Amino acid sequence: MTSRRAFLAGLAAAAVPKPGWAAAGSPAFLAAGKRGEAHELCGLSATGGIVFRQPLPARGHAAAAHPLRAEAVAFARRPGVFALVLDCATGAVRHRMTPPEGRQFNGHGVFSADGAVLMTSEVVAEGSAGRIGLWDGATYARIGEWDSGGIGPHDMKRLADGRLIVANGGIKTDPGDRTKLNLKAMRPNLTLLSQEGAVLDREELAPEMHRNSIRHLALVGEGVAFAMQWEGDPAEPVPQLGLWTPGSAPRLCPPLEAEMFAMQGYAGSIAATQDALAITSPRGGVVMLFGLDGTPLATHRRADVCGIASAGDGFLASDGAGALLRVTVEGIAPLAQGGPQWDNHLVALGS
Amino acid sequence: MPRPPVLLALMAALALAAPARADYPEAIRDVILPGYAAFAEAAAALDTAAQASCEAQALEPAFHTAFDAWMAVAPLRIGPAEEDGRALAILFWPDPKGLGAKAQAALLAGEPAALTPEGLAQASVAARGLLGLERLLWPAEPLPADPCPLVRATAADLARMAADLRDGWQGDTGFAQAMLSAGTEGNAEFLSGPEVRQAIFTLIHAGLEQIADQQLGRPLGSFDKPRPELAQARASGRSLSNVVLELQGLRALTESLTPDAPLTLAAFDHALGLAEALADPVFAGVATPGGRLKVEILQQAVRALRDTAAVELARELDVDLGFNAADGD
Repeated sequence: MTSRRAFLAGLAAAAVPKPGWAAAGSPAFLAAGKRGEAHELCGLSATGGIVFRQPLPARGHAAAAHPLRAEAVAFARRPGVFALVLDCATGAVRHRMTPPEGRQFNGHGVFSADGAVLMTSEVVAEGSAGRIGLWDGATYARIGEWDSGGIGPHDMKRLADGRLIVANGGIKTDPGDRTKLNLKAMRPNLTLLSQEGAVLDREELAPEMHRNSIRHLALVGEGVAFAMQWEGDPAEPVPQLGLWTPGSAPRLCPPLEAEMFAMQGYAGSIAATQDALAITSPRGGVVMLFGLDGTPLATHRRADVCGIASAGDGFLASDGAGALLRVTVEGIAPLAQGGPQWDNHLVALGS
Repeated sequence: MPRPPVLLALMAALALAAPARADYPEAIRDVILPGYAAFAEAAAALDTAAQASCEAQALEPAFHTAFDAWMAVAPLRIGPAEEDGRALAILFWPDPKGLGAKAQAALLAGEPAALTPEGLAQASVAARGLLGLERLLWPAEPLPADPCPLVRATAADLARMAADLRDGWQGDTGFAQAMLSAGTEGNAEFLSGPEVRQAIFTLIHAGLEQIADQQLGRPLGSFDKPRPELAQARASGRSLSNVVLELQGLRALTESLTPDAPLTLAAFDHALGLAEALADPVFAGVATPGGRLKVEILQQAVRALRDTAAVELARELDVDLGFNAADGD
């Protein structure tokens, strides 16, 4: 059940005016995509209309939206050697961010509530030890870094009070080509960091789940829902969804038995509304919906679906064929077609 | 004998005048719908036979006919096969944790009166279907209870699922119609014809990968640790013939979709030739160096076929393996 406090916080976040973004068409979401051989970052309206398109020099993964200015930080795919700060109104590249020597971006970033600091998931290239890079939100100068609390951090989410939850995926990768190096020994975890970067809490999964890489997060109540990617035997049915409130043990949420292989062990994105969770699998071609307590609600099929974001009382999903779809417990229906091949993530502004 | 040029020209003209129609409507009409109809018929016959006798010897022919029919459509993991866990329940494999045997043992230890087709439909997908029947008809060790009620319930449940699958593809609201009406208003399943081609291409690719990685890869294990006991449907002696039937089914599907894939079709024929010449029905040979090599050669041929199809079919059909599905992060 949603706490009153979380509910009000959600309303407040939705109501925060973002005057700077009006110049870029007031998008509700950001998404990267590919058209022909060209890559771009798009702003999307709440109903899936494209309100801006700006070119990217290479394939993107996820983006972070500045809370006040019409600025997006677009992260390259792993192993990420750059991130671009785009003026979404003009398309100008305001800054080109390069990780310090021996560090690589790992695909995700998040701003502090006031936009003063950008935090980026990073790894030490040799060994994949996790770092959270800290950047000045105005000048995009490097101002420091924290230990992420594990190997191979990927997504992270900021709680309302400024603490940060990090998904440490547990996988060591070759710095050159993403080859996974430690699948037998990997141990993903969820780490809660204070506003100063101190580890406040850290939880691993049960030993038999040590190959379930925790990769993506959605805020739920006082904690997160997390989405996993199974690196073990594909014929073993394992959950792709879990719930974690710091201070307690993480809880995994299996799908219905008949759907136990529908995700093919792989969740690509996750999102939460006030009353439902959604995870996507481009490999299985499914969107799976759960209640906030992890009860399976529905499974919908759509080839190569991956991006997902909360949109009103339902979800917006994107696929690799250029379609944007509205997803509710009742079904999945196209809202727009003919867009670029949408990449992994839909990023909601104000989240 | 060289043909006279006039005849060649005539043949060329005929080929231009009446090109063989091949696309997804033909694949649905000529391969998919008949495949499901044959499986429903064979499963119904197996059910009839099981109600008459539940002895392995009496059921063996109908069991094999139904299994044969399933393998021809097994790679079609789309639409009705993915609803209610049907494809999983019909052939629950691979099963590295032995979930099927455990769930079935619990059913056998329970009340025989509960073993109705309706009751079984609610049971674990792992306990049911063709391999559920195989475990009862060719038990690895003596069964703790009379298997007859469970044999009959499993056969009836299988026949019901086969009929549901066939029906799920047919009619105005069937999955075939959803494919054929791709791109029309209100069709949320397929937004365009190319999406249907993409879907069938994905099935062909995934089916070939399943054969190479699972049906051949599991028993192959590693050189130091071959795992012949993991071969699919080993107790009924079908491991190799399942591979042959699946390759034949995928070849027919490919040819009905586009005959303009000479490299892919030749690669199918090469892999099928190797499989048909392999005198090792349950891949027991993987435990010997010579026998292992033959299965490895077949696996390599299936992988080469998959890679050829990924290039040639993708180009011919103007499809790909999925922007996100093939990436992963």
